[in-house]
Amino acid sequence: MSPLRRFLRTPEAVAGAILLAALIAMALIAPLLFPGDPQAIAGPALLPPFQDWSLPLGTDRLGRDVLAELFHGARTSLAVGLAAAAAALAIGAVVGTLAGFAGGLVDEVLMRITDAFQTVPSFLLALAFVSVVGPSLGIVVAAIALGTWTGPARVARAEVLSIRERDYVASARAIGMHPLEIAFREVLPNALPPVLAMSSVIVAAAILTEAALSFLGLGDPNRVTWGGMIAEGRAVLRTAPFLSIVPGIALVLTVLGVYLAGEGVVETTAVRRSLS
Amino acid sequence: MSLLAVSNLTKHYRRGGKTVIAVDDVSFHIEPGETLALAGPSGSGKSTIARLVLRLIEPDAGAIEFEDNDFLALGGAALRARRARLQTVFQDPLAAFNPRATVAHVLDDPLRIHGIASRSERPHRIAALLERVGLAADLAPRAIHEISGGQRQRVAIARAIATKPSLIVLDEAVSALDVSVRGQILDLLLDLQRQERIAYLFISHDLGVVRAVSHRVILLDAGRIAESGDARAVIDAPQSAIGKALVAAAPRLKRTTQDAS
Ligand SMILES: Nc1ncnc2c1ncn2[C@@H]1O[C@H](COP(=O)(O)OP(=O)(O)O)[C@@H](O)[C@H]1O
Ligand SMILES: [Mg+2]
Repeated sequence: MSPLRRFLRTPEAVAGAILLAALIAMALIAPLLFPGDPQAIAGPALLPPFQDWSLPLGTDRLGRDVLAELFHGARTSLAVGLAAAAAALAIGAVVGTLAGFAGGLVDEVLMRITDAFQTVPSFLLALAFVSVVGPSLGIVVAAIALGTWTGPARVARAEVLSIRERDYVASARAIGMHPLEIAFREVLPNALPPVLAMSSVIVAAAILTEAALSFLGLGDPNRVTWGGMIAEGRAVLRTAPFLSIVPGIALVLTVLGVYLAGEGVVETTAVRRSLS
Repeated sequence: MSLLAVSNLTKHYRRGGKTVIAVDDVSFHIEPGETLALAGPSGSGKSTIARLVLRLIEPDAGAIEFEDNDFLALGGAALRARRARLQTVFQDPLAAFNPRATVAHVLDDPLRIHGIASRSERPHRIAALLERVGLAADLAPRAIHEISGGQRQRVAIARAIATKPSLIVLDEAVSALDVSVRGQILDLLLDLQRQERIAYLFISHDLGVVRAVSHRVILLDAGRIAESGDARAVIDAPQSAIGKALVAAAPRLKRTTQDAS
């Protein structure tokens, strides 16, 4: 059975893929469906959902279109989640490869640095970083990556430690290949699968961290974010709970979708690898 | 001067508090175009000597002279450049290649690294190398894991001769092959030696093969040289205990030597 068919026979994976596809679709069509500034006032304030069909999910305290905000928020969540995870995986893979391949003092120093980053809770690290440097999309991405690269680094190092003992690495040294070329061209690509297998968890965590930062008012102020929407709604939680519930549900479904789809991919490809 | 002169080479390993003397005060030399065999039971230090000579690991004591230079004194770029002259073929040709590599890729590496051919020339060089080792040039785009074990070992030999080395270390290079394929690979190695005057450090636990292809042989026992000399003379009439035991344990060999005498 091909991995794709096996994936399609796993109900959780399919559910995850559908959620993820919906999220991506929302992010892609947001500027087409809701051109213009989603933060502009679109109607009367605090309009409940399903009252006015031009504003299906109603409006918030300032009269902004909740559905438009939701779609544009999907863009931010996805962009930050993917960018932060990609940065964390890239940093982790490079640090882990250098540490594992070089060994000795380089390994010692890099792993102490990794330890240091790991002992600080990643959310606190992100919080401190954004508070000091100031909130913008790039900074938020960097802040999240800063707290999450250690996991990939450890996995990459462990994998590299086993790969570097293989004959093909000795063979690369014997033909006179430069150590950096051996590390990054010969070893790193073969150490990647278990590192990439972490990406669904990391993307999901990054999306949650971004939402939490925005909730605390440390997101990019020029962008709609789901965390920011939840924080906004909190002021009127009793009278207009939907303002917090709607983005909250979107967040939960997104994280769930990313996680389930990612795990589905890992599982179906891992089975194939162990069979072959 | 010898092509390779190894003197008093010693290598220890520490494992779980105990010290294993893998190579113990070993000296030997190899002349240009000569095949010197290292034979001995499993664990006698053959592979450790190969790795020391290739500078894949560092000795605890001893000296290695290669092409009239102190080989142990080389480091960094100088060592990498000199590696062109001292090549190797490993036992398991599947493990010796990057699992993602293609045939063209593994032959391109030495040509590129040592600046032997420009990017545009390299495909022709690769085709010529493949033909030199008895393979079709259209094998180049194939993945390493797609071709047969014998073909793979020919590719390994092509990679080793790409930089025109004067010495190739062959650590059990034919041991994993079927008997018929083994004969063809040995023929190829002998042919290359005749044409290019390449010397071999030929490591094998199979005395029959050693006797067939080597000029001289060193019998190792627990990291020490037990006996050495002309390959036929040593194997036909071993003097050391380990030599007698190795010959007795090789039934195929016993028959051929009896036939010969
Ligand atoms: N990396 C290593 N660490 C510890 N001991 C080793 C290592 N490599 C080899 N040895 C030991 O050194 C001895 C010689 O091994 P080796 O050179 O591989 O022998 P051979 O190739 O003749 O079978 C053996 O006792 C082996 O266990
Ligand atoms: Mg060995």
